[in-house]
Amino acid sequence: MTKSNVMEVPPKGGFTFDLCRRNTMLQQQGAKLPKFRKTGTTIVGLIFKDGVILGADTRATEGEIVCDKNCEKIHYLAPNISCCGAGTAADTENVTDMVSSQLVLHRYATGRESRVVTALTMLKSHLFRYQGQVSAALVLGGVDVTGPHLHAVYPHGSTDTLPFATMGSGSLAAMSVFESRYKENLTKEEGMEIVSAAICAGIFNDLGSGSNVDLCIITKEGKEYLRNYQQPNPRSYSRSKGYDFKIGHTAVLSTKITQLRQHVQVLEGDAMEEE
Amino acid sequence: MGDSQYSFSLTTFSPSGKLVQIEYALMAVGAGQTSLGIKASNGVVIATEKKLPSILVDEASINKIQSLTPNIGVVYSGMGPDSRVLVRKSRKQAQTYQRLYQEPIPLSQLVRETAAVMQEFTQSGGVRPFGVSLLMAGFDDNGPQLYQVDPSGSYFSWKASAIGKNVSNAKTFLEKRYSDDMELEDAIHTAILTLKEGFEGQISGKNIEIGIIDEKRVFKVLTPAEVEDYLAEVE
Repeated sequence: MTKSNVMEVPPKGGFTFDLCRRNTMLQQQGAKLPKFRKTGTTIVGLIFKDGVILGADTRATEGEIVCDKNCEKIHYLAPNISCCGAGTAADTENVTDMVSSQLVLHRYATGRESRVVTALTMLKSHLFRYQGQVSAALVLGGVDVTGPHLHAVYPHGSTDTLPFATMGSGSLAAMSVFESRYKENLTKEEGMEIVSAAICAGIFNDLGSGSNVDLCIITKEGKEYLRNYQQPNPRSYSRSKGYDFKIGHTAVLSTKITQLRQHVQVLEGDAMEEE
Repeated sequence: MGDSQYSFSLTTFSPSGKLVQIEYALMAVGAGQTSLGIKASNGVVIATEKKLPSILVDEASINKIQSLTPNIGVVYSGMGPDSRVLVRKSRKQAQTYQRLYQEPIPLSQLVRETAAVMQEFTQSGGVRPFGVSLLMAGFDDNGPQLYQVDPSGSYFSWKASAIGKNVSNAKTFLEKRYSDDMELEDAIHTAILTLKEGFEGQISGKNIEIGIIDEKRVFKVLTPAEVEDYLAEVE
Protein backbone atom coordinates (compact mmCIF):
# COMPACT_ATOMS: atom_id res chain seq x y z
CA MET A 1 0.00 0.00 0.00
CA THR A 2 1.57 3.29 -1.05
CA LYS A 3 1.49 6.09 1.44
CA SER A 4 0.42 9.44 0.05
CA ASN A 5 0.62 12.84 1.65
CA VAL A 6 -2.95 13.68 0.74
CA MET A 7 -5.48 11.92 3.01
CA GLU A 8 -7.85 9.91 0.91
CA VAL A 9 -11.36 10.77 2.01
CA PRO A 10 -13.80 8.02 1.10
CA PRO A 11 -16.87 9.33 -0.78
CA LYS A 12 -19.58 9.99 1.78
CA GLY A 13 -22.40 9.52 -0.69
CA GLY A 14 -25.09 12.05 -1.47
CA PHE A 15 -25.57 14.33 -4.43
CA THR A 16 -22.55 15.52 -6.42
CA PHE A 17 -23.21 18.84 -8.06
CA ASP A 18 -20.49 18.42 -10.71
CA LEU A 19 -22.82 17.86 -13.61
CA CYS A 20 -25.32 20.64 -12.85
CA ARG A 21 -23.34 23.26 -14.75
CA ARG A 22 -23.02 20.95 -17.73
CA ASN A 23 -26.76 20.32 -17.69
CA THR A 24 -27.67 24.01 -17.67
CA MET A 25 -25.19 24.57 -20.49
CA LEU A 26 -26.74 21.78 -22.54
CA GLN A 27 -30.21 23.13 -21.92
CA GLN A 28 -29.14 26.57 -23.11
CA GLN A 29 -27.79 24.95 -26.23
CA GLY A 30 -31.19 23.41 -26.87
CA ALA A 31 -30.95 19.85 -25.50
CA LYS A 32 -34.07 18.69 -23.67
CA LEU A 33 -33.88 17.34 -20.13
CA PRO A 34 -35.63 13.98 -19.73
CA LYS A 35 -39.12 14.37 -18.30
CA PHE A 36 -39.70 13.18 -14.78
CA ARG A 37 -42.93 12.26 -13.17
CA LYS A 38 -44.33 15.25 -11.29
CA THR A 39 -47.34 15.16 -9.08
CA GLY A 40 -48.87 18.40 -10.43
CA THR A 41 -51.00 18.47 -7.37
CA THR A 42 -53.17 20.23 -4.94
CA ILE A 43 -52.19 19.54 -1.34
CA VAL A 44 -53.63 21.33 1.69
CA GLY A 45 -53.66 21.26 5.46
CA LEU A 46 -55.51 23.08 8.18
CA ILE A 47 -55.61 23.18 11.96
CA PHE A 48 -59.01 22.67 13.55
CA LYS A 49 -60.19 22.53 17.15
CA ASP A 50 -58.86 19.04 18.00
CA GLY A 51 -55.97 18.65 15.58
CA VAL A 52 -54.90 18.76 11.96
CA ILE A 53 -56.61 17.78 8.68
CA LEU A 54 -54.50 17.09 5.59
CA GLY A 55 -55.95 16.75 2.09
CA ALA A 56 -54.61 15.86 -1.34
CA ASP A 57 -55.77 15.09 -4.88
CA THR A 58 -54.70 11.86 -6.60
CA ARG A 59 -53.43 12.74 -10.08
CA ALA A 60 -49.80 12.11 -11.08
CA THR A 61 -48.60 13.65 -14.36
CA GLU A 62 -45.66 13.03 -16.68
CA GLY A 63 -45.54 16.13 -18.81
CA GLU A 64 -49.00 16.35 -20.39
CA ILE A 65 -50.01 12.75 -19.66
CA VAL A 66 -51.81 11.53 -16.56
CA CYS A 67 -49.65 8.60 -15.57
CA ASP A 68 -51.47 7.65 -12.37
CA LYS A 69 -55.15 8.46 -11.86
CA ASN A 70 -55.22 7.39 -8.22
CA CYS A 71 -51.83 7.82 -6.58
CA GLU A 72 -51.31 8.37 -2.84
CA LYS A 73 -49.88 11.75 -1.94
CA ILE A 74 -50.40 11.62 1.81
CA HIS A 75 -47.32 9.89 3.22
CA TYR A 76 -46.75 8.28 6.60
CA LEU A 77 -44.04 9.79 8.76
CA ALA A 78 -44.90 8.60 12.26
CA PRO A 79 -47.99 7.23 14.05
CA ASN A 80 -48.93 10.83 14.86
CA ILE A 81 -47.48 12.69 11.88
CA SER A 82 -48.32 12.70 8.15
CA CYS A 83 -46.99 14.60 5.18
CA CYS A 84 -48.53 15.57 1.82
CA GLY A 85 -46.04 15.81 -1.03
CA ALA A 86 -46.00 17.89 -4.24
CA GLY A 87 -43.27 18.12 -6.87
CA THR A 88 -41.29 15.21 -8.22
CA ALA A 89 -42.97 11.98 -7.04
CA ALA A 90 -39.68 10.12 -6.50
CA ASP A 91 -38.33 12.96 -4.37
CA THR A 92 -41.40 13.28 -2.15
CA GLU A 93 -41.72 9.52 -1.65
CA ASN A 94 -38.07 8.93 -0.89
CA VAL A 95 -37.53 11.92 1.35
CA THR A 96 -40.61 11.06 3.45
CA ASP A 97 -39.54 7.40 3.59
CA MET A 98 -36.06 8.39 4.77
CA VAL A 99 -37.29 10.80 7.44
CA SER A 100 -39.85 8.24 8.60
CA SER A 101 -37.00 5.73 9.08
CA GLN A 102 -34.88 8.32 10.92
CA LEU A 103 -37.83 9.10 13.18
CA VAL A 104 -38.12 5.41 14.18
CA LEU A 105 -34.48 5.41 15.28
CA HIS A 106 -35.03 8.72 17.04
CA ARG A 107 -38.01 7.28 18.95
CA TYR A 108 -35.92 4.32 20.09
CA ALA A 109 -33.12 6.61 21.20
CA THR A 110 -35.38 9.04 23.13
CA GLY A 111 -38.13 6.64 24.28
CA ARG A 112 -40.74 9.26 23.38
CA GLU A 113 -43.40 9.96 20.76
CA SER A 114 -42.02 11.91 17.75
CA ARG A 115 -42.62 15.65 17.57
CA VAL A 116 -43.66 17.47 14.41
CA VAL A 117 -40.78 19.93 14.72
CA THR A 118 -38.33 17.01 14.69
CA ALA A 119 -39.72 15.80 11.37
CA LEU A 120 -39.68 19.40 10.14
CA THR A 121 -36.02 19.92 11.03
CA MET A 122 -34.96 16.61 9.47
CA LEU A 123 -36.81 17.44 6.25
CA LYS A 124 -35.58 21.01 5.91
CA SER A 125 -31.96 20.13 6.69
CA HIS A 126 -32.00 17.48 4.00
CA LEU A 127 -33.64 19.73 1.41
CA PHE A 128 -31.30 22.63 2.13
CA ARG A 129 -28.26 20.38 1.83
CA TYR A 130 -29.36 19.46 -1.68
CA GLN A 131 -29.91 23.11 -2.61
CA GLY A 132 -33.33 22.62 -4.22
CA GLN A 133 -32.23 19.70 -6.41
CA VAL A 134 -34.61 17.50 -4.40
CA SER A 135 -37.87 18.87 -5.76
CA ALA A 136 -40.19 18.17 -2.84
CA ALA A 137 -42.78 20.68 -1.62
CA LEU A 138 -44.50 19.30 1.47
CA VAL A 139 -47.37 20.06 3.80
CA LEU A 140 -46.42 18.51 7.11
CA GLY A 141 -48.99 18.08 9.88
CA GLY A 142 -49.34 16.19 13.13
CA VAL A 143 -50.27 16.22 16.78
CA ASP A 144 -47.73 15.68 19.55
CA VAL A 145 -47.40 16.44 23.27
CA THR A 146 -47.07 20.15 22.52
CA GLY A 147 -50.29 20.23 20.49
CA PRO A 148 -51.31 20.26 16.81
CA HIS A 149 -48.81 21.64 14.26
CA LEU A 150 -48.93 22.44 10.55
CA HIS A 151 -45.96 23.42 8.38
CA ALA A 152 -45.28 24.10 4.69
CA VAL A 153 -41.82 22.98 3.48
CA TYR A 154 -40.34 24.37 0.25
CA PRO A 155 -37.84 22.54 -2.01
CA HIS A 156 -34.95 24.81 -1.08
CA GLY A 157 -35.40 24.13 2.61
CA SER A 158 -37.42 27.05 3.93
CA THR A 159 -40.49 26.42 6.04
CA ASP A 160 -43.64 28.23 7.11
CA THR A 161 -45.70 27.53 10.20
CA LEU A 162 -49.33 28.24 9.48
CA PRO A 163 -52.91 27.60 10.60
CA PHE A 164 -53.78 26.63 7.01
CA ALA A 165 -51.49 25.87 4.05
CA THR A 166 -51.68 24.86 0.40
CA MET A 167 -48.95 23.72 -2.01
CA GLY A 168 -48.65 22.46 -5.58
CA SER A 169 -49.93 23.71 -8.92
CA GLY A 170 -53.48 23.85 -7.54
CA SER A 171 -52.46 25.80 -4.45
CA LEU A 172 -53.96 29.09 -5.63
CA ALA A 173 -57.35 27.52 -6.33
CA ALA A 174 -57.30 25.79 -2.94
CA MET A 175 -56.05 28.87 -1.09
CA SER A 176 -58.98 30.93 -2.40
CA VAL A 177 -61.34 28.48 -0.67
CA PHE A 178 -59.34 28.60 2.58
CA GLU A 179 -59.00 32.37 2.63
CA SER A 180 -62.73 32.85 2.29
CA ARG A 181 -63.93 30.07 4.61
CA TYR A 182 -61.26 29.41 7.27
CA LYS A 183 -61.87 30.43 10.86
CA GLU A 184 -60.42 29.35 14.20
CA ASN A 185 -61.81 26.43 16.25
CA LEU A 186 -63.49 24.61 13.39
CA THR A 187 -65.20 21.32 14.22
CA LYS A 188 -64.04 18.12 12.54
CA GLU A 189 -66.98 18.09 10.10
CA GLU A 190 -66.53 21.75 9.15
CA GLY A 191 -62.80 21.20 8.69
CA MET A 192 -63.32 18.14 6.48
CA GLU A 193 -65.87 20.05 4.41
CA ILE A 194 -63.51 22.99 3.84
CA VAL A 195 -60.52 20.76 3.04
CA SER A 196 -62.43 18.70 0.47
CA ALA A 197 -63.86 21.88 -1.06
CA ALA A 198 -60.33 23.24 -1.39
CA ILE A 199 -59.05 20.05 -3.04
CA CYS A 200 -62.05 19.98 -5.36
CA ALA A 201 -61.26 23.57 -6.36
CA GLY A 202 -57.81 22.34 -7.36
CA ILE A 203 -59.18 19.25 -9.11
CA PHE A 204 -61.61 21.17 -11.27
CA ASN A 205 -59.59 24.33 -11.97
CA ASP A 206 -56.01 23.06 -12.28
CA LEU A 207 -54.92 20.71 -15.05
CA GLY A 208 -52.13 19.28 -12.90
CA SER A 209 -54.62 18.02 -10.30
CA GLY A 210 -57.55 15.70 -10.67
CA SER A 211 -59.38 12.48 -9.84
CA ASN A 212 -60.17 11.88 -6.16
CA VAL A 213 -59.84 13.54 -2.75
CA ASP A 214 -57.77 11.88 0.02
CA LEU A 215 -58.09 13.09 3.61
CA CYS A 216 -56.09 12.46 6.75
CA ILE A 217 -57.38 13.62 10.13
CA ILE A 218 -54.89 13.64 13.01
CA THR A 219 -55.92 14.25 16.61
CA LYS A 220 -54.30 13.34 19.90
CA GLU A 221 -56.46 10.19 19.90
CA GLY A 222 -54.98 8.96 16.64
CA LYS A 223 -54.87 9.17 12.89
CA GLU A 224 -57.76 8.58 10.46
CA TYR A 225 -56.67 8.08 6.85
CA LEU A 226 -59.64 8.41 4.47
CA ARG A 227 -58.39 7.18 1.13
CA ASN A 228 -60.64 8.36 -1.72
CA TYR A 229 -62.93 10.23 0.66
CA GLN A 230 -64.59 11.81 -2.37
CA GLN A 231 -64.63 10.54 -5.92
CA PRO A 232 -66.00 13.42 -8.00
CA ASN A 233 -64.62 12.01 -11.28
CA PRO A 234 -66.02 8.54 -11.73
CA ARG A 235 -65.67 6.77 -15.05
CA SER A 236 -69.12 7.51 -16.37
CA TYR A 237 -69.25 5.10 -19.29
CA SER A 238 -67.71 1.68 -19.77
CA ARG A 239 -68.82 -0.48 -22.65
CA SER A 240 -70.69 -3.47 -21.22
CA LYS A 241 -69.70 -5.76 -24.09
CA GLY A 242 -66.03 -4.97 -23.62
CA TYR A 243 -63.79 -4.33 -26.58
CA ASP A 244 -62.99 -6.85 -29.27
CA PHE A 245 -60.95 -6.10 -32.33
CA LYS A 246 -61.75 -8.34 -35.29
CA ILE A 247 -59.00 -9.47 -37.60
CA GLY A 248 -58.75 -6.96 -40.41
CA HIS A 249 -59.20 -3.89 -38.16
CA THR A 250 -55.50 -3.08 -38.28
CA ALA A 251 -53.76 -2.73 -41.64
CA VAL A 252 -50.70 -4.98 -42.03
CA LEU A 253 -47.85 -3.11 -43.70
CA SER A 254 -45.21 -5.86 -43.93
CA THR A 255 -44.67 -9.44 -42.71
CA LYS A 256 -41.42 -11.20 -41.77
CA ILE A 257 -41.40 -14.70 -40.28
CA THR A 258 -38.21 -16.07 -38.62
CA GLN A 259 -38.21 -19.84 -38.05
CA LEU A 260 -36.50 -20.42 -34.71
CA ARG A 261 -36.26 -24.17 -35.31
CA GLN A 262 -33.47 -23.63 -37.83
CA HIS A 263 -31.16 -22.40 -35.07
CA VAL A 264 -31.72 -25.31 -32.69
CA GLN A 265 -30.14 -28.70 -33.40
CA VAL A 266 -31.26 -31.74 -31.41
CA LEU A 267 -28.46 -34.35 -31.24
CA GLU A 268 -28.94 -37.87 -29.93
CA GLY A 269 -25.94 -38.91 -27.86
CA ASP A 270 -24.67 -41.20 -25.07
CA ALA A 271 -25.58 -40.53 -21.48
CA MET A 272 -22.87 -38.81 -19.50
CA GLU A 273 -20.62 -41.23 -17.62
CA GLU A 274 -20.89 -41.07 -13.87
CA GLU A 275 -17.65 -41.40 -11.99
CA MET B 1 -12.52 0.52 11.45
CA GLY B 2 -8.79 0.55 10.95
CA ASP B 3 -8.43 4.34 10.63
CA SER B 4 -5.93 6.23 12.81
CA GLN B 5 -2.53 4.68 13.44
CA TYR B 6 -3.75 1.14 14.01
CA SER B 7 -4.18 -0.82 10.82
CA PHE B 8 -3.20 -4.05 12.58
CA SER B 9 -5.57 -6.15 14.60
CA LEU B 10 -5.18 -6.33 18.39
CA THR B 11 -6.84 -9.75 18.35
CA THR B 12 -4.14 -12.24 17.37
CA PHE B 13 -3.82 -16.02 17.49
CA SER B 14 -2.09 -17.85 20.31
CA PRO B 15 0.23 -20.80 19.55
CA SER B 16 -2.57 -23.23 20.46
CA GLY B 17 -4.81 -21.73 17.80
CA LYS B 18 -7.08 -19.75 20.11
CA LEU B 19 -7.99 -16.09 19.94
CA VAL B 20 -7.23 -15.17 23.51
CA GLN B 21 -8.99 -11.80 23.33
CA ILE B 22 -12.23 -13.57 22.54
CA GLU B 23 -11.71 -16.01 25.42
CA TYR B 24 -11.20 -13.05 27.72
CA ALA B 25 -14.29 -11.37 26.28
CA LEU B 26 -16.27 -14.49 27.12
CA MET B 27 -14.88 -14.26 30.65
CA ALA B 28 -16.16 -10.69 30.84
CA VAL B 29 -19.56 -12.06 29.83
CA GLY B 30 -19.28 -14.78 32.45
CA ALA B 31 -18.70 -12.15 35.12
CA GLY B 32 -21.85 -10.27 34.12
CA GLN B 33 -25.29 -10.63 35.67
CA THR B 34 -27.31 -13.67 34.66
CA SER B 35 -29.68 -13.39 31.73
CA LEU B 36 -31.82 -16.12 30.22
CA GLY B 37 -34.36 -16.75 27.51
CA ILE B 38 -37.01 -19.42 26.93
CA LYS B 39 -38.85 -20.12 23.69
CA ALA B 40 -42.44 -21.26 24.21
CA SER B 41 -44.85 -22.65 21.65
CA ASN B 42 -46.67 -19.32 21.36
CA GLY B 43 -44.02 -16.76 22.31
CA VAL B 44 -40.61 -16.03 23.84
CA VAL B 45 -39.58 -14.67 27.23
CA ILE B 46 -36.21 -13.10 28.13
CA ALA B 47 -35.23 -12.08 31.64
CA THR B 48 -32.28 -10.69 33.52
CA GLU B 49 -31.11 -9.75 36.99
CA LYS B 50 -30.97 -6.03 37.58
CA LYS B 51 -28.56 -5.77 40.51
CA LEU B 52 -27.70 -2.13 41.07
CA PRO B 53 -24.30 -1.07 42.46
CA SER B 54 -25.99 0.84 45.30
CA ILE B 55 -29.47 1.47 46.74
CA LEU B 56 -29.02 5.10 45.77
CA VAL B 57 -29.30 4.28 42.05
CA ASP B 58 -32.68 5.11 40.50
CA GLU B 59 -33.61 1.68 39.17
CA ALA B 60 -36.38 3.01 36.95
CA SER B 61 -33.80 4.73 34.78
CA ILE B 62 -32.04 1.49 33.92
CA ASN B 63 -33.39 -0.60 31.05
CA LYS B 64 -31.35 -3.69 30.34
CA ILE B 65 -33.95 -5.23 28.03
CA GLN B 66 -34.44 -3.17 24.87
CA SER B 67 -36.56 -3.35 21.70
CA LEU B 68 -34.78 -3.50 18.38
CA THR B 69 -37.97 -3.50 16.29
CA PRO B 70 -41.61 -3.71 17.37
CA ASN B 71 -41.33 -7.53 17.23
CA ILE B 72 -37.73 -8.16 18.36
CA GLY B 73 -36.24 -7.62 21.82
CA VAL B 74 -32.75 -8.15 23.24
CA VAL B 75 -31.06 -8.67 26.59
CA TYR B 76 -27.32 -8.88 27.34
CA SER B 77 -24.83 -10.17 29.86
CA GLY B 78 -21.49 -8.43 30.23
CA MET B 79 -20.52 -4.81 29.65
CA GLY B 80 -23.58 -2.56 29.43
CA PRO B 81 -21.97 0.21 27.34
CA ASP B 82 -20.84 -2.35 24.71
CA SER B 83 -24.42 -3.60 24.44
CA ARG B 84 -25.66 -0.07 23.80
CA VAL B 85 -23.40 0.23 20.74
CA LEU B 86 -24.73 -3.07 19.38
CA VAL B 87 -28.35 -2.12 20.06
CA ARG B 88 -27.86 1.13 18.16
CA LYS B 89 -26.25 -0.59 15.20
CA SER B 90 -28.90 -3.33 15.11
CA ARG B 91 -31.75 -0.83 15.15
CA LYS B 92 -30.20 0.97 12.22
CA GLN B 93 -29.69 -2.27 10.32
CA ALA B 94 -33.34 -3.20 10.90
CA GLN B 95 -34.42 0.15 9.46
CA THR B 96 -32.16 -0.22 6.43
CA TYR B 97 -33.68 -3.64 5.72
CA GLN B 98 -37.18 -2.21 6.16
CA ARG B 99 -36.45 0.61 3.71
CA LEU B 100 -35.04 -1.76 1.12
CA TYR B 101 -37.61 -4.56 1.29
CA GLN B 102 -40.65 -2.66 2.66
CA GLU B 103 -41.18 -5.35 5.29
CA PRO B 104 -39.97 -5.92 8.87
CA ILE B 105 -36.64 -7.72 9.16
CA PRO B 106 -36.86 -11.42 10.09
CA LEU B 107 -35.08 -12.20 13.38
CA SER B 108 -32.59 -14.60 11.79
CA GLN B 109 -31.42 -11.88 9.38
CA LEU B 110 -30.99 -9.31 12.14
CA VAL B 111 -29.06 -11.83 14.22
CA ARG B 112 -26.80 -12.55 11.26
CA GLU B 113 -26.08 -8.87 10.68
CA THR B 114 -25.42 -8.18 14.37
CA ALA B 115 -23.14 -11.20 14.57
CA ALA B 116 -21.29 -9.91 11.51
CA VAL B 117 -20.64 -6.62 13.31
CA MET B 118 -19.32 -8.46 16.36
CA GLN B 119 -17.02 -10.55 14.16
CA GLU B 120 -15.74 -7.41 12.42
CA PHE B 121 -14.48 -6.14 15.75
CA THR B 122 -12.40 -9.30 16.21
CA GLN B 123 -10.58 -8.81 12.94
CA SER B 124 -10.13 -5.06 12.49
CA GLY B 125 -7.38 -2.61 13.36
CA GLY B 126 -7.34 -0.78 16.65
CA VAL B 127 -10.54 -2.24 18.12
CA ARG B 128 -11.32 -4.88 20.71
CA PRO B 129 -14.08 -7.51 20.73
CA PHE B 130 -17.41 -6.62 22.37
CA GLY B 131 -17.63 -7.74 26.00
CA VAL B 132 -21.26 -8.91 25.75
CA SER B 133 -23.31 -11.90 24.75
CA LEU B 134 -26.77 -11.10 23.48
CA LEU B 135 -30.01 -13.03 23.71
CA MET B 136 -32.31 -11.87 20.91
CA ALA B 137 -35.98 -12.86 21.04
CA GLY B 138 -38.58 -12.31 18.37
CA PHE B 139 -41.77 -13.48 16.70
CA ASP B 140 -41.98 -13.30 12.92
CA ASP B 141 -43.33 -15.36 10.03
CA ASN B 142 -41.13 -18.28 11.14
CA GLY B 143 -42.75 -18.31 14.57
CA PRO B 144 -41.18 -17.55 17.95
CA GLN B 145 -37.37 -17.69 18.00
CA LEU B 146 -34.52 -17.19 20.47
CA TYR B 147 -30.91 -16.58 19.41
CA GLN B 148 -27.69 -16.18 21.36
CA VAL B 149 -24.83 -14.13 19.88
CA ASP B 150 -21.32 -14.33 21.38
CA PRO B 151 -18.38 -11.87 21.30
CA SER B 152 -16.72 -13.98 18.59
CA GLY B 153 -19.67 -13.40 16.30
CA SER B 154 -21.01 -16.94 16.44
CA TYR B 155 -24.72 -17.31 16.92
CA PHE B 156 -27.02 -20.17 17.85
CA SER B 157 -30.75 -20.67 17.95
CA TRP B 158 -31.87 -21.99 21.33
CA LYS B 159 -35.01 -23.42 22.84
CA ALA B 160 -33.81 -22.11 26.17
CA SER B 161 -30.49 -20.58 27.16
CA ALA B 162 -28.73 -18.68 29.91
CA ILE B 163 -25.66 -16.40 29.85
CA GLY B 164 -23.65 -14.63 32.51
CA LYS B 165 -22.69 -15.59 36.05
CA ASN B 166 -24.81 -18.56 36.97
CA VAL B 167 -24.80 -20.25 33.59
CA SER B 168 -24.19 -23.93 34.42
CA ASN B 169 -26.78 -24.10 37.23
CA ALA B 170 -29.28 -22.15 35.18
CA LYS B 171 -28.84 -24.34 32.11
CA THR B 172 -29.18 -27.55 34.17
CA PHE B 173 -32.36 -26.15 35.69
CA LEU B 174 -33.70 -25.21 32.28
CA GLU B 175 -32.86 -28.61 30.80
CA LYS B 176 -34.93 -30.27 33.50
CA ARG B 177 -37.85 -27.90 33.24
CA TYR B 178 -38.09 -27.28 29.52
CA SER B 179 -40.72 -28.99 27.36
CA ASP B 180 -41.43 -28.37 23.67
CA ASP B 181 -45.12 -27.67 24.17
CA MET B 182 -44.60 -25.18 26.98
CA GLU B 183 -46.83 -22.11 26.72
CA LEU B 184 -45.70 -18.53 27.30
CA GLU B 185 -47.18 -18.23 30.79
CA ASP B 186 -45.39 -21.41 31.90
CA ALA B 187 -42.21 -20.14 30.31
CA ILE B 188 -42.41 -16.89 32.29
CA HIS B 189 -42.83 -18.83 35.53
CA THR B 190 -39.92 -21.10 34.63
CA ALA B 191 -37.77 -18.08 33.80
CA ILE B 192 -38.50 -16.53 37.19
CA LEU B 193 -37.74 -19.81 39.00
CA THR B 194 -34.46 -20.13 37.11
CA LEU B 195 -33.43 -16.59 38.06
CA LYS B 196 -34.43 -17.26 41.64
CA GLU B 197 -32.08 -20.27 41.79
CA GLY B 198 -28.92 -18.22 41.72
CA PHE B 199 -30.33 -14.99 43.13
CA GLU B 200 -28.54 -13.41 46.08
CA GLY B 201 -31.00 -11.61 48.29
CA GLN B 202 -34.71 -11.05 47.95
CA ILE B 203 -36.10 -11.20 44.41
CA SER B 204 -38.65 -8.50 43.55
CA GLY B 205 -40.13 -6.58 40.64
CA LYS B 206 -37.45 -3.96 41.06
CA ASN B 207 -34.37 -6.15 40.73
CA ILE B 208 -35.29 -8.29 37.75
CA GLU B 209 -36.43 -7.35 34.25
CA ILE B 210 -38.65 -9.50 32.04
CA GLY B 211 -39.47 -9.00 28.36
CA ILE B 212 -42.05 -11.04 26.46
CA ILE B 213 -43.37 -11.40 22.96
CA ASP B 214 -46.51 -13.35 22.11
CA GLU B 215 -48.57 -14.12 19.00
CA LYS B 216 -49.58 -10.47 18.72
CA ARG B 217 -45.93 -9.93 17.68
CA VAL B 218 -45.34 -6.90 19.86
CA PHE B 219 -42.30 -7.05 22.15
CA LYS B 220 -42.86 -5.49 25.53
CA VAL B 221 -40.94 -5.15 28.77
CA LEU B 222 -43.08 -5.93 31.80
CA THR B 223 -43.58 -3.15 34.35
CA PRO B 224 -42.32 -3.77 37.92
CA ALA B 225 -45.96 -4.19 38.98
CA GLU B 226 -46.58 -6.87 36.35
CA VAL B 227 -43.37 -8.65 37.42
CA GLU B 228 -44.58 -8.61 41.04
CA ASP B 229 -47.82 -10.28 39.91
CA TYR B 230 -45.89 -13.10 38.24
CA LEU B 231 -43.63 -13.42 41.29
CA ALA B 232 -46.71 -13.80 43.48
CA GLU B 233 -48.04 -16.53 41.16
CA VAL B 234 -44.75 -18.40 41.43
CA GLU B 235 -44.79 -18.38 45.25
